[in-house]
Amino acid sequence: MIGGLVAIGTLLVAGLIGVLLRRRDGRVRTKNTATVPDDVRAVLDPRAEVTLVQLSTTFCAPCRHARVILADLADKTDGLAHADIDLTDRPELAQRLAVLRTPTTLAVDSQGAEILRVGGVPRRESLLAALRPHLSA
Amino acid sequence: MTRPVTPQVDPRGPRFSAWLTTAVLVAVLLTGWWPLLAAQAVVFALGAFAGLNYSPYGALYRVFVAPRLRPTDEREDVAPLRFAQAVGFGFAVVGTLGYATGLVGLGIVATAAALAAAFLNAAFGFCLGCEAYLLLNRLSITNKKVGTTR
Repeated sequence: MIGGLVAIGTLLVAGLIGVLLRRRDGRVRTKNTATVPDDVRAVLDPRAEVTLVQLSTTFCAPCRHARVILADLADKTDGLAHADIDLTDRPELAQRLAVLRTPTTLAVDSQGAEILRVGGVPRRESLLAALRPHLSA
Repeated sequence: MTRPVTPQVDPRGPRFSAWLTTAVLVAVLLTGWWPLLAAQAVVFALGAFAGLNYSPYGALYRVFVAPRLRPTDEREDVAPLRFAQAVGFGFAVVGTLGYATGLVGLGIVATAAALAAAFLNAAFGFCLGCEAYLLLNRLSITNKKVGTTR
């Protein structure tokens, strides 16, 4: 009987968490505008105005999906590049970047300043809209 | 960009498995019958350590479900799924030990944790075990014993 109540309670709580996570997923955040560490700077495309730096791990199913979206977006948008950093064996970099989950995508300008970040699989339109002011083309 | 070829599966298979796992874990909570949870632990272990091809739920999907669905080009990497199965295995073992030794509270809590993760995966496609990986790895900087790096 207690087990039944726990089962119902667990499904309700997990359902609520799922809805909240889905709502937060792919949202563009612009709070942090710090300069990125050298490890990230190294992967920036020197010819691009903005590089989308995707942070992935091996154990990350949606990273693959995010990679497809970002690579395609960078391909079709002038001045935009896409790079990938695998954090699987670099937890210290994850800590410095304050990344709690993958995929997280940082949009970094050519000076190495973080413009925005997206947790989860990015949504194409909202990401592009947020990047527009930073792209001249 | 060329990436190393990694083993991949039809992503609907793991979703199907997650629904089956959810049903089994609800049944465990309702009945408190530990052999059922032990069987689920074996299913988790096969998926995690032998490979997803050996998972009984995956086999059910391939034989009974996949032929009825349209084929898809969509593929998902196996590594995150296996890691999540290993996390599920841990909870199932703790739960089984709890129920079997009379620590029913422990059994219920561990089963509920596994149920929450399975349901999030089934209903939302959200892999809790995969998300936890990075957090565990970050913890491992300060405490090497928690490390998940292999």
